Amino acid sequence: MASLIPNLEHSPDTSPEFKRKKRRKTDETPGPFDRNQGSQRIKRWRTEREQQIYSSKLIEALRRSRRTSSSAPAKEVRETADRVLAVSAKGTTRWSRAILASRLGVGSKTMRKHKRAKVTANRRLRKPEINGEKRKLPAVERKLKVLGRLVPGCRKVSFSNLLEETSDYIAALEMQVRAMTTITALLAGGGTQPPTDRLGSHINS
Amino acid sequence: MSSQGSRASNKITDDELSALILNLQTLLPQPNRCRNGRESATQVLSETCSYIRKLQAEIDDLSERLSQCLGSMDMTSLDAEILRNLLRQ
Repeated sequence: MASLIPNLEHSPDTSPEFKRKKRRKTDETPGPFDRNQGSQRIKRWRTEREQQIYSSKLIEALRRSRRTSSSAPAKEVRETADRVLAVSAKGTTRWSRAILASRLGVGSKTMRKHKRAKVTANRRLRKPEINGEKRKLPAVERKLKVLGRLVPGCRKVSFSNLLEETSDYIAALEMQVRAMTTITALLAGGGTQPPTDRLGSHINS
Repeated sequence: MSSQGSRASNKITDDELSALILNLQTLLPQPNRCRNGRESATQVLSETCSYIRKLQAEIDDLSERLSQCLGSMDMTSLDAEILRNLLRQ
């Protein structure tokens, strides 16, 4: 499954939404066709349309899950919201696939095995390669590890991949916050709480 | 395949690294940033981590509120809300 990832990201057969929403800015830097693709994806998270699609899907999913309501409804709402968010990513990003896979309970076991093998191999490799920068790297490495734990499914990805996943994940989370705020305001009666615009303002400015 | 990927990522140049970090920095909600490059990579990464945590905490809080809203309404009013939502689009 991991080998399919670069193919998905590099192939131009993305949905028509990409073609409609994409804006060719001037950052056609060398090499990163995937970065262009990534920035298009990130812009998609910020469109009004994407938020409305997500809101509709979320409300539908919440409605369905309410019929089989178990205990701890807040957690269920959160999981539903995350699942719908991951579905909205359309399988292009690693974190979305990780969220969906973890629902089935498949991914965690195999990933833990790989993690143990990989960590020791990396340490052995890095020591002879880097001589003078021993003190600088571990701090960045530590932060990268923390970041990798925060973004689902990104514990052992490369540095540039991790940053790309992080960018997409942050944009998606912001959209999730916006959408859920709007829905909560709607369900609470409409006029009482206008949706907070903190996130929107910094994006537009 | 993943081991080759991680070995290749060790050879990432400093320029690429700072470019990626700058890219990440533009996503963070900071009012200043008139001159990027003020913050080191570790600071940007720390801010990114705390921002993600903050977003996730917000989502938790929102889902708590949403679950309370859903708990206090029955199916018919939920359908009404859905229709209203669709009409607003």
